[in-house]
Amino acid sequence: MSLWVDKYRPTSLAKLDYHKDQANQLKNLVQCGDFPHLLVYGPSGAGKKTRIMCLLRELYGAGVEKLRIEHQSIVAPSKKKIEINTIASNYHLEVNPSDAGNSDRVVIQELIKTVAQSQQIQSSTQREFKVVLLTEVDRLTKDAQHALRRTMEKYMSTCRLILCCNSTSKVISPIRSRCLAVRVPLPSIEEVCSVLAGVCRKEGLLLPAELAKHIAEKSGRNLRKALLMCEACRVQQYPFSADQDIPETDWEVYLRETANAIVSQQSPQRLLEVRARLYELLTHCIPPEIIMKGLVSELLSNCDGHLKAEVAQMAAYYEHRLQMGNKAIYHLEAFVAKFMAIYKKFMEDGLDNFMF
Amino acid sequence: MSKLSLRGKASSSKLSSWVQPSFGDLLGGSGLNSFSSTKGALAAESKPKTCPSSADVSGKRPRKRKGDPPASKPQFFSSRQTSQEDQDEPWVDVHVPQSQAELAVHKKKVEEVESWLRVQLDLRSENKGGAVLLLTGPSGCGKTATVHVLAKDLGFQIQEWSNPNTASEYRTDDSFRQSFDPASRFNSFHGSSQTGAFQEFLLRANKYNRLQMTGDTQSQNRKAILVEDFPNQFYRQPGCLHDILRRFVKTGKCPLVFIVSDSLSGDTSSRLLFPKDIQQELGIHHISFNPVAPTSMMKVLSRIASIEASKNAGRISVPDKTVLDQLCSGSSGDIRSAINSLQFSSFTDNSLEKGLWASKKGKSAASAAKAPTRARGRSRATKSTDKLEDSPAIGGKDASLFLFRALGKILYCKREGYEGYEGSEVPKIPAHLAEHQRDRLLVDPEIVIERSHMSGEFFNLYLHQNYLDFFSNVEDVARASEYLSDADFFTAEWSSRSTMLQYGSSVATRGLIHSNSSRAQATSQSSVGFKPLHKPHWLQINKTYRENYLSAQSLFINFCLAPINLVTELVPYLAKLSKTMRNPAQIAFIQDVGSLSLKRFPGRLKLEALGDKDPGALDFDSENEDSTQTIKPGTSSSSGDPTAEPALQSNQEPGTDLPASQPQPTTTEALLDEEELLIEEYDSD
Repeated sequence: MSLWVDKYRPTSLAKLDYHKDQANQLKNLVQCGDFPHLLVYGPSGAGKKTRIMCLLRELYGAGVEKLRIEHQSIVAPSKKKIEINTIASNYHLEVNPSDAGNSDRVVIQELIKTVAQSQQIQSSTQREFKVVLLTEVDRLTKDAQHALRRTMEKYMSTCRLILCCNSTSKVISPIRSRCLAVRVPLPSIEEVCSVLAGVCRKEGLLLPAELAKHIAEKSGRNLRKALLMCEACRVQQYPFSADQDIPETDWEVYLRETANAIVSQQSPQRLLEVRARLYELLTHCIPPEIIMKGLVSELLSNCDGHLKAEVAQMAAYYEHRLQMGNKAIYHLEAFVAKFMAIYKKFMEDGLDNFMF
Repeated sequence: MSKLSLRGKASSSKLSSWVQPSFGDLLGGSGLNSFSSTKGALAAESKPKTCPSSADVSGKRPRKRKGDPPASKPQFFSSRQTSQEDQDEPWVDVHVPQSQAELAVHKKKVEEVESWLRVQLDLRSENKGGAVLLLTGPSGCGKTATVHVLAKDLGFQIQEWSNPNTASEYRTDDSFRQSFDPASRFNSFHGSSQTGAFQEFLLRANKYNRLQMTGDTQSQNRKAILVEDFPNQFYRQPGCLHDILRRFVKTGKCPLVFIVSDSLSGDTSSRLLFPKDIQQELGIHHISFNPVAPTSMMKVLSRIASIEASKNAGRISVPDKTVLDQLCSGSSGDIRSAINSLQFSSFTDNSLEKGLWASKKGKSAASAAKAPTRARGRSRATKSTDKLEDSPAIGGKDASLFLFRALGKILYCKREGYEGYEGSEVPKIPAHLAEHQRDRLLVDPEIVIERSHMSGEFFNLYLHQNYLDFFSNVEDVARASEYLSDADFFTAEWSSRSTMLQYGSSVATRGLIHSNSSRAQATSQSSVGFKPLHKPHWLQINKTYRENYLSAQSLFINFCLAPINLVTELVPYLAKLSKTMRNPAQIAFIQDVGSLSLKRFPGRLKLEALGDKDPGALDFDSENEDSTQTIKPGTSSSSGDPTAEPALQSNQEPGTDLPASQPQPTTTEALLDEEELLIEEYDSD
């Protein structure tokens, strides 16, 4: 028994639940024969990957769904062995090159070369190209992106690339200009609701419309999250009630409590406690950027007026440093300390005004 | 004995004849040549009584005695009478402490060692096992001297192990004219390993009492075994030593004393040879010595100076007090080097000396004149900063600080008021910046970092872990944390990293010091009191983060998700769903990482107290490479890539694997010592 997310994932372009126009366009793209490199981007949980898999199926038929996980090892020019996991079918190869860290350039070059150098056997009945699907392209180093650009041109005859990322802002423009950009926006609340309802119907469950709406809002229109939430709701309580609590992940709750702790008291001792909580979050694998984002949104809801602008500006400042620097905790803590200082001053000023 | 010294003579003369020509060629019979020949003659002919042979000496502890003059300190028991005959004898040996009063070691320490020895020697008959004592401390702080003085006072003999010179011929020399020489007596030893020989030595020293000699009246069977020198094998495989010790503890009859010198620069032989768990298992008593305090060193130096002056008036110019002060501060608590440099600097016919010391005198006189009103404790503190600039030309030793003290210097940031100035002279900053007015710092942060033998980055981590305890208001904390953030930001770009590291640490330390406004004035400082220091969590945290991240990827690879979505969405929700299809590893991971206990205070983080003698974690850069490999199995860093640095902690455990909160009697005692020192300094002005 697999998760609903996987179980009810649409497998062909025709079956997609939303953005049907785009699905049609993709279908036409496949049918007209010449297939460009694609750059698929959009927020997490919008269905990029689903769409790509549908597209591949459209291209090659059901054969793409026979996936195998391969463990490849590549020897870099510096004689260093790089190990990376790939997911492949007979027709395509999926790899997340940012897994290789700083050696992603080598991974990209080697993998694409291997794929591109082998011709399809029956080019009459099959497409004459294979597809390499690269995920998290926005996390590639600049070096690797430039390597990608050259590789793209070189193996155009035997290989197409589909790049998948959340934002194009970190993809260098030469790559952007060589690809057909396909944006996959988040589904609307209604679309999420209808998907949820459809899934529940298939499961033989009755989902109240209010709850579906509630879930959709809470998930931030992230469909994967919405489905996971829905399934967690099912575990928590069935039959559903319209106003039941939607389970949140532990770390979100924990983060909110951390934010509350920051707001409720501002002192060095409290900062020490907050630091311990931040460490706790980090050991649970929550990336520092996400912690920062979560903290800011929680803290902002406690601020008003001009304080909001100040906090947001500060958050941006430290977020930038977080990205540049080595040790996240310095910057997270500096942000928290700064917030404490500002907030304390704000509260004290407010108190003064109140008294006079 | 006669055989022994004969061979000693032979080898020493061979030694000198081997050395001499090279000097002769080089210098063509200049002063140095005659010097070496006198030394050779001295070693081979003079005083056969006191010193078995100088070859013994040169073979003995070459590791520790590098800084000493060529014919270094032969034996401790050389008496004063003989030394009068010989002008060239090092003063270190001439003035070996003869009684507890002469020891430069703190009285409490001596008492501690004494009481241990007393207990062990007296209880020895009932006590079945052998007891082990471990003495540690920086070189030249009087560890060995203490043991020898106590041996005399308590009336026991010392059998000392020293490494055999070569594999085939080896000899142990021990003090008090007691010789143990398996090589001459037990030929079966030839070719056996040092380890084997060491074991045999322990066994024999343990089993057999020394022969009764005439003149030995009392305490015939009281003795202790002293080991200062470890067979090299033990450094490679400490396990061998531990096995031997286990056996010794079971069967031993007499106390066994190990003396290990601390060093700051990562070479932690005491930690390697005697890890904490072994210390506990074997009941090893650990006493750690501090560097010799300046006052007691002054006492010793002036005593020696006056004795020497009276002994041979005219031939020796006794340095005046400022010079002694300089020597004292320059030796950073190493009394051996202090005495050596005292001897060197007091030769009248040393033509270099005049020029060398003249400038020093001028300077120190100036600094003395600068603050004549200061109390003693203050001036001592000032001197320690002064000496940074003009460390003495003779006998200057690289000063170094243990991490604990280095952190303390930054975090307590002692300042001094402008007492010595007239009211108008006090430098002021403009009124609108008045909040930034600070009194003068007594420490130089850059030098503190340099002396902590630690990369700035690492030092910052330690500071970051500990700084919050020293701050009292949030605005200050905000500024301080911003400086730390700045410091990290400085080193972001790997191409400029090596240069920026220094600036980064400088910004961090100075920023921390300056932003602590509650400690801005010299007068407002003493309120903080003692705070325990801790080891940084970050490395451990970062490591777990990475490991979990990777294991998430490898465990849930068939979900085909980007890792971020995996850890923030899938795994936490999987924890909420009860599904049965997963394998045990996945379930364990989900339980561990997916769910957070919502307790207020997370239990995972244990504070690791930082002891005063703990070295920092091991060297950063050397670990970069292999750690990236171990931490990112699926990846690798292109050769030595500096940006791969966050993963620097894989081997870091050996440095920090102290059990978190285990009671450490010696450490806490040392902490108290430190605290006493602080109070004393405050009281004194």
